Amino acid sequence: MPVDLDNSSTASGEASVSSTGNQPPPPPQQPPSKSAATAKKKRNLPGMPDPEAEVIALSPKTLLATNRFVCEICNKGFQRDQNLQLHRRGHNLPWKLRQRSSKDVKKRVYVCPEPTCVHHDPSRALGDLTGIKKHFCRKHGEKKWKCDKCSKKYAVQSDWKAHSKICGTREYKCDCGTLFSRRDSFITHRAFCDALAEESARAQPHTPNPNPKPIKESDPKVQVESSPPPAPLPPPVAPDFGSDQGQAPPGLAQSTGMISSPVLAIQSPELPDNPPQFIEEAPAPAPTPTPATVTAGFNGSFGSGTSSSSNGSSTSSVFASLFASSTASGNLQAPQSPAFTDLIHAMAHPDRPTDLAPSSIEPISLCLSTNQGSSIFGTAGQERRQYAPPPQPAMSATALLQKAAQMGAAATNASLLRGLGIVSSSSSSAQPDNMQWGQRQMEPENSSVTAGLGLGLPCDGGSGLKELMMGTPSVFGPKHATLDFLGLGMAAGGSPSGGLSALITSIGGGLDVAAAAAASFGGGEFSGKDMRRS
Amino acid sequence: MKTELRGNSNTSISLQNPSTLFSNPQSSLSGALNGCLGSLDGACIEKLLLHCASALEHNDGTLAQQVMWVLNNVASLVGDPNQRLTSWFLRALISRASKVCPTAMNFDGGSTIWRRNMPVTELAVYVDLIPWHRFGFCASNSAILKAIEGYSKVHILDFSITHCMQWPTLIDALAKRAEGAPSLRITVPSCRPPVPPFLNVSSEEVGLRLSNFAKFRDLPFEFNVIDHGPSSFTSRDQIMSKESSRDLYFESLLNHLTPSMLDLRDDEALVINCQNWLRYLSDEQRGSNVQDSSLRDAFLCTVKGFNPCIVVVVDEDSDLSAPSLSSRITACFNYLWIPFDALETFLLKDSSQRFEYESDIGHKIENIISFEGVQRIERLESGIKLSQRMRNAGFSSVSFCEDTVGEVRSLLEEHASGWGMKIEEDHMLVLTWKGHNSVFSTAWVRNASMQD
Repeated sequence: MPVDLDNSSTASGEASVSSTGNQPPPPPQQPPSKSAATAKKKRNLPGMPDPEAEVIALSPKTLLATNRFVCEICNKGFQRDQNLQLHRRGHNLPWKLRQRSSKDVKKRVYVCPEPTCVHHDPSRALGDLTGIKKHFCRKHGEKKWKCDKCSKKYAVQSDWKAHSKICGTREYKCDCGTLFSRRDSFITHRAFCDALAEESARAQPHTPNPNPKPIKESDPKVQVESSPPPAPLPPPVAPDFGSDQGQAPPGLAQSTGMISSPVLAIQSPELPDNPPQFIEEAPAPAPTPTPATVTAGFNGSFGSGTSSSSNGSSTSSVFASLFASSTASGNLQAPQSPAFTDLIHAMAHPDRPTDLAPSSIEPISLCLSTNQGSSIFGTAGQERRQYAPPPQPAMSATALLQKAAQMGAAATNASLLRGLGIVSSSSSSAQPDNMQWGQRQMEPENSSVTAGLGLGLPCDGGSGLKELMMGTPSVFGPKHATLDFLGLGMAAGGSPSGGLSALITSIGGGLDVAAAAAASFGGGEFSGKDMRRS
Repeated sequence: MKTELRGNSNTSISLQNPSTLFSNPQSSLSGALNGCLGSLDGACIEKLLLHCASALEHNDGTLAQQVMWVLNNVASLVGDPNQRLTSWFLRALISRASKVCPTAMNFDGGSTIWRRNMPVTELAVYVDLIPWHRFGFCASNSAILKAIEGYSKVHILDFSITHCMQWPTLIDALAKRAEGAPSLRITVPSCRPPVPPFLNVSSEEVGLRLSNFAKFRDLPFEFNVIDHGPSSFTSRDQIMSKESSRDLYFESLLNHLTPSMLDLRDDEALVINCQNWLRYLSDEQRGSNVQDSSLRDAFLCTVKGFNPCIVVVVDEDSDLSAPSLSSRITACFNYLWIPFDALETFLLKDSSQRFEYESDIGHKIENIISFEGVQRIERLESGIKLSQRMRNAGFSSVSFCEDTVGEVRSLLEEHASGWGMKIEEDHMLVLTWKGHNSVFSTAWVRNASMQD
């Protein structure tokens, strides 16, 4: 498909797009200008059937402008020229309505001028002008309109109006006390709510057990047949492929619950908060009958009937300790750190509890956090989990890569794994069969990359800690200063890899993009025809 | 969006030998960030992901690690949507990398992402967090209601991953039906694909609750579970390998889809409901012969043979099963940003609901990117391709009536304003987020002209 280059200089070489929709780099930063269209280039947009769509970037001023068209007689402002023209008729002024020119059928999409916005990227452009205006206003504009019933704030007046109409008007209340604003959520909740189950149980004098017998209505017309579950509870035979968390039968969950309660105690005190937190936030907590349900559910989560729970907790506390920032609330201790092999085994075989040997760990070496005080969300004493260090000051991509190259060159002595005392500087003891990364990587000081990577993989041992889930993968380690967070000892034997230096060079001095990109994908894997946009 | 990178801004950087113009064909990072002066945006991140994948495929550990390091500094599970998405992608890549040497790691094909089991009431909230599921429920239920007009008995074969969350609203609608409530039977397979959302009770228990509800609404109701699982698999250790058991699961399911085993009755309107489920049936040819169709096609052929009243198919509108890893990464990255972006509009960065929802998507990402072969069970197919497949199987599409369209629109109006809907070719309803396709919904009947 032909590439339509703008005559402006901004397009430069970046506007070239292959027919298959490889993405050119985004346009360079531009100061907001008063003109309507500042850059045009072609992109394949996911979901958009028209690959010839033209991308238009409007300035914030343009987007926020409400009444750009002003009547010269009475100074009344209008959003659209058409409206102004119609108004001018009233003044007996000459007016002219512009027809949409038939040749201007090119589809237009609009990007958001805010650089940090997701819609700044042309592949996330929005399809109509009103949409992008409303988006900009809603997302990046000041929220001037406030609903008086609830406390919701809106930046766009029509949104505020629309909300005020429905706020508090329709409310559905379940027997359990939960309120819903939408009928379908109400119905769905009601069907599964414990309150209903209890009510029907109460209605039948001889019922309530998890194995109901078919209950016949006294009214012969209505043949209600609750079919008894074909498989008795417990345990239904439900092979679960690939994950421990299948459908734990309630009976089993109960027994697991017994096992895991002591485990619960080991966990950080934040843990019991978790399911109630979820329920709390949801519009549908079931306050009354659910403590049992919640517990059952929660305990059921500790591995469906396997013994993974105990393992999960210890592994999870390990991870919690690994990745908590040093200012983490006291409940995330770093009491233990597993020997490395144990850790790997824990993750590979989550149903075998492992003994995690404590070792002396310097929490400080674990985290790179430079920001010691503020949690990401600004509220002190947050009882929820703390993650790996909050975002640090921004760094440009260039600087980051240069740093990566630089660090690759230097011998690192503060790698994550080393800090844990897991990786010895001598040849790896844990994994004698190092993963072979082609011919490049056999360095005597390596631990296996597998091991290093393995550390980054959060356990699947049934941990319930959110901080585990959040802390661990959030960084696979803190944002380490060293390149060696994967524990390779030295990332590249003494000199930056060609890749990085080439990158730096290219940023500085304009390597040919296409050639580099093409070359980089050697086997032409990144071939356009494979790329499909949904 | 452009993502702010983290790092120590005051470190002095010295360039290493900048004059090295690297002409090695594996000089991958060069192209990736050319032009990304400043901060990284979605396109750059995508390129980095691709470079990383390429490095892995070429066994270039150094480069892979370097790219991962860069990505690591971008990724954050509690950052903006791009950062969160990157985090899950990076995780999937690492997971993939670690499989290169399977000796130390005995990953049995399971995901590394732990995901807890939810109680039913929580699941009810989960499916309504964003209209992703409710859109399909609404459109399908409406189409079903229309199709069974005149019937007094209805039997639904329900293939889905959302544990019957679809049915309360249908039960409610049937109970209020002007021509009188029919009797309703719902049949589900005993096993489901091992993907989130996970429930902490069995299908039987779910059926029990539905029965209660139906009774409460005075609707005659029956719930059945097709017991087709290989019954010897009572513990994980007995499952000799995940791969073969997965195959066995679907094969055995197909074997159990017979009129007698399903107790199909002549006077019933039969409804086939496939909701986010067809994608788990393999789309690969099962044999070398031309007539060895894929499991997916075999399934469609089987259900067509039941002469159903209507077949409703809802799934995610994206092609994510290409053989090439790079294509999958690209397609995946440019599709799954949608739910991340949607969640951002109304849930805080530290919301546990949001995190759980996103981690379920992460589960999907991990499967798509770090697995191959039969373990890669997420074989998403776009609406257009699915429609073609249905036509090939001898179905014709049925349009959604005005009422349905209206219902879906009012549903979407109650959600965040970025959600929209469009009607595409072949009467396909598509849920859109800011104009981008997310979920499609279709309805089909057997071709009258086809002879079998």
